[in-house]
Amino acid sequence: MKGIKKFKIDTKELSQKEKVLFKKLISAAELMAPLYLKQKNNKYPGANFYPYDATKEEIERAARKNPAILSSYTFVERDKTGKLIAIPYHLKFKKELKSISELLEEAADLSEDKNFSLYLRSRAKSLLDDNYEKSEIIWLKTGPFKFGFIIGPIERYLDKLFFKKCAYQSWVGFLDEQKTKEAGKFKNAILTGRRKILSGSEKAEISKLGIRIDRTAIFSGLIADFMFTGTNLPNDVKLMEKYGSKLTIFESSLESKFKGDHLPIFKAVFDKKFQKSYSEEDLYKGSLRCILLHEISHSLIRYRDAEERLKDLFPIFDELYAYILGIKNCGTLFLKGVMNQKELEAILIMHICRNFTWWLDSMKNPDVKHYAIGAAIAQNFFLKEGAMREKGGISWPNFTKLFICINELSRLLEYYLAVGSYEEAKEFIEEYSSFNVFKRFSSQLTKISKLK
Amino acid sequence: MTEEKKFYLTKEGLEKIRKEYEDLKELKLAQIREESPKILYEDINFLGSKIIEFENIIKNAELIRPPKKEKQNIIDLGATVLVEINGEIDEFRLVGTLEADPSNRKISNESPIGRALLGKRVGEIVVIKTPIVNHACKITKIKYNNIDKP
Repeated sequence: MKGIKKFKIDTKELSQKEKVLFKKLISAAELMAPLYLKQKNNKYPGANFYPYDATKEEIERAARKNPAILSSYTFVERDKTGKLIAIPYHLKFKKELKSISELLEEAADLSEDKNFSLYLRSRAKSLLDDNYEKSEIIWLKTGPFKFGFIIGPIERYLDKLFFKKCAYQSWVGFLDEQKTKEAGKFKNAILTGRRKILSGSEKAEISKLGIRIDRTAIFSGLIADFMFTGTNLPNDVKLMEKYGSKLTIFESSLESKFKGDHLPIFKAVFDKKFQKSYSEEDLYKGSLRCILLHEISHSLIRYRDAEERLKDLFPIFDELYAYILGIKNCGTLFLKGVMNQKELEAILIMHICRNFTWWLDSMKNPDVKHYAIGAAIAQNFFLKEGAMREKGGISWPNFTKLFICINELSRLLEYYLAVGSYEEAKEFIEEYSSFNVFKRFSSQLTKISKLK
Repeated sequence: MTEEKKFYLTKEGLEKIRKEYEDLKELKLAQIREESPKILYEDINFLGSKIIEFENIIKNAELIRPPKKEKQNIIDLGATVLVEINGEIDEFRLVGTLEADPSNRKISNESPIGRALLGKRVGEIVVIKTPIVNHACKITKIKYNNIDKP
């Protein structure tokens, strides 16, 4: 089914009643996909959120008179006179959202966790009036719940014109307690330090960070398209500052990405002799830590004015810096004995493989191009500084140089995200974002399905 | 004759190990007397080896004590240090490997940073060199709190 990705997971630890509840949540998630597909259109930078013939300037002009035009939860259409008007999501999809909302109410009736019921009922209401703040606050203040469940318009990546409109998505899973406990310890070890902040920046302090690793059963909408392996919500900086944020790692999606992309890429682009030093287990752990570090770092790099200042370039810097800062922090973890050298190397290797993955993904789905641009910046930077050697489509990393590079790149990205202007950020992207750094490996990568 | 490895522990850490040791011995005796539900053969073996391990630790334990006042400006085991490293300000306590718990700011004396900082003073900049990561670490404060007096 389009816009949906299902994962096989073992649900035997759920009670009969919990299984019924779980199915209700999955049914609700499934109904999100058609709404997402009506928003998605990668032929236009504004997807289906704005009329195709409307220019950026015309939309901005209309928004000055009617701020709802640039609301996160409206479609922009033309009325009979040609004037731009805003249609709220909850009116555009009234019938569909009513069915989803009812399923959430039914699931709430089945839950024995009062706070989870409260969250579901509040979310059911949010879908019908586009007021999501209340249900997000309940989600942030309560839990951890047994079920990992998110539904609604959340990510703005489809809107490449203004980075404003939220696309529908949902996921359903349940907590892996053991792995969550281990991840929690890892998170605490990272967060002991206090990063020095650039003067003049509007750094947001995130009060707390919840963490969970889920066995996910379904992705629907944007998340099915992007196949995230982790996420850190909410996106609203003000909410994050007041109530903290929650990080979820999707075990099912990570396993699928590791086997389908990261590992085959490792085998395709690295020297055969070099490959022998790393077991599949080392690399999987590296991939898990890579995404954990990335998501934790998202809480450390929020600047109140960054989205307004960097506009459509913001997601490129936000996503890339979260990867780079996460790896940079590993240097200290290694020195503290939290991980050994091989584990640290595996994280670096998996970061490089993830860079290739984003490029491959962007060819299939242009909506993830901002990730691919970030990946190209990192890869070009590594190559230019001599941290990667290449010959005949085979590469060898120099880990010591890679770490020096990561520190330098981290310093630059911090600058752009904290205080840099749009023009400076654009210039930096133009200098480092050539995809040739990946294209050179095309012949080795043809075995990976996306290039076929 | 090879020297036996010393285990550096705080008083609290040693007490914890003694308690676990006594509990395991109790459990083993209960098994012999058939006073507790039977456990698997592999688990009995594991129990036995754990008891031997704890006995060895207790026998070779060396208590971490704060140094004399005139030497408290030098980093030793048990010191809580404030450092600037990798663009961050960080604070942690140096402990023996058995008590290391980086998620609770307890760092092993055998870790690269632990080894590099031992014997250093406030104001010193220590370059920690490893085959993969090289960082300069500036020591800004040393204190000896919450450990037993000599």
